[in-house]
Amino acid sequence: MKAFGELTKGIIKENPVFVMALGLCPTLAVSTSVNDAIGMGAAATFVLLSSNIFISLLKNFIPNKIRIPCYILVIASFVTMVDMVMHAYVPSLHKSLGIFIPLIVVNCIILGRAEAFASKNNVGKSILDAIGMGIGFTLAIVIIAVIREFLGSGTIYNISILPASYKPMIVAILPPGAFFTIALLMGLINLIKNKS
Amino acid sequence: MKEMIKPTLVLLVICVVAGSILALIYYKTDPIIAENNRIEEENARKEVLPLADKFEPVCKNDNILYYEGSCEDELVGYIFKCSKYAYSSTVKTIVGIDTLFMITGIKIVSQQETPGLGANCSKPRFAEKFKNKNPETILVDKDGGNIVSITGATITTRTVTNSIREKFNKLKQKFNKK
Repeated sequence: MKAFGELTKGIIKENPVFVMALGLCPTLAVSTSVNDAIGMGAAATFVLLSSNIFISLLKNFIPNKIRIPCYILVIASFVTMVDMVMHAYVPSLHKSLGIFIPLIVVNCIILGRAEAFASKNNVGKSILDAIGMGIGFTLAIVIIAVIREFLGSGTIYNISILPASYKPMIVAILPPGAFFTIALLMGLINLIKNKS
Repeated sequence: MKEMIKPTLVLLVICVVAGSILALIYYKTDPIIAENNRIEEENARKEVLPLADKFEPVCKNDNILYYEGSCEDELVGYIFKCSKYAYSSTVKTIVGIDTLFMITGIKIVSQQETPGLGANCSKPRFAEKFKNKNPETILVDKDGGNIVSITGATITTRTVTNSIREKFNKLKQKFNKK
């Protein structure tokens, strides 16, 4: 039961984006289309999972004083790996994510989970935590992307939903649209939370 | 003293391990990436100058200036590459023109512009805007020209437009010599 809690806490109760407000930069920047959002979520989840595993394995080996540089090193290595592997095997996704793959390094969800969870817990728990947080992040970014892509381009996952006569609400895919969307969603979640 | 040595050694070990793993993956993926890029470039050439079936590079001091596209040994057009720094990256474009110097097609071969905005320049809809236009006179609409910019990405559109025009003007004399 407790293990299940580690897995699910990241999805709703401690959602990294909506509740902890971590990793907002990629969430705001890559949520203009559902396709990119899924790619970003998957890539970040992979890096999160790998870095959580390694950091919880190495936690007794890494001296406390230099733990942050060590974490950054582990995370940066995995990001570079993802970057190269994606470039070689899924060039189209690599192209559309562009600069945001290297920027996973500075996604604070990953460093945050390494510092707050993986460095204090065993491998099994860290894996569950990473999967939960990864799903939570992916879910959040995809929800925002669905709203923004629907309003801003009239499509969802590149499939036209609205008739061609619909004039897209362009502000939704511009940066301000990201802030509006995330603010409304966070407000909604807090409202539901306060009521129950 | 001991407090200094241990962290240093640990960091060194992690660096060496991480560095070797990355080197190995680079060694494995680099040829695939290079091959992908080569295939992509060849397809791109066919796309921007569909009439041609053979492409010959024209060089000067070992640098490829442009490609001549021909069909059954008859010259049908030229292909050149241009690149310029746009909003957040260098955008590389290849451009095909026919013998009357009208654009037959363009293709963005590499860009890292903002996903959802500037990155839309790699979509076919963007390339359509340039078809059958004279590369000497293209300008974006905000500068009073005939190329409608992408929503939220005027800088990207302007950069691509200007880079094509500038490169064409540079190469024009060389095309004419033939």
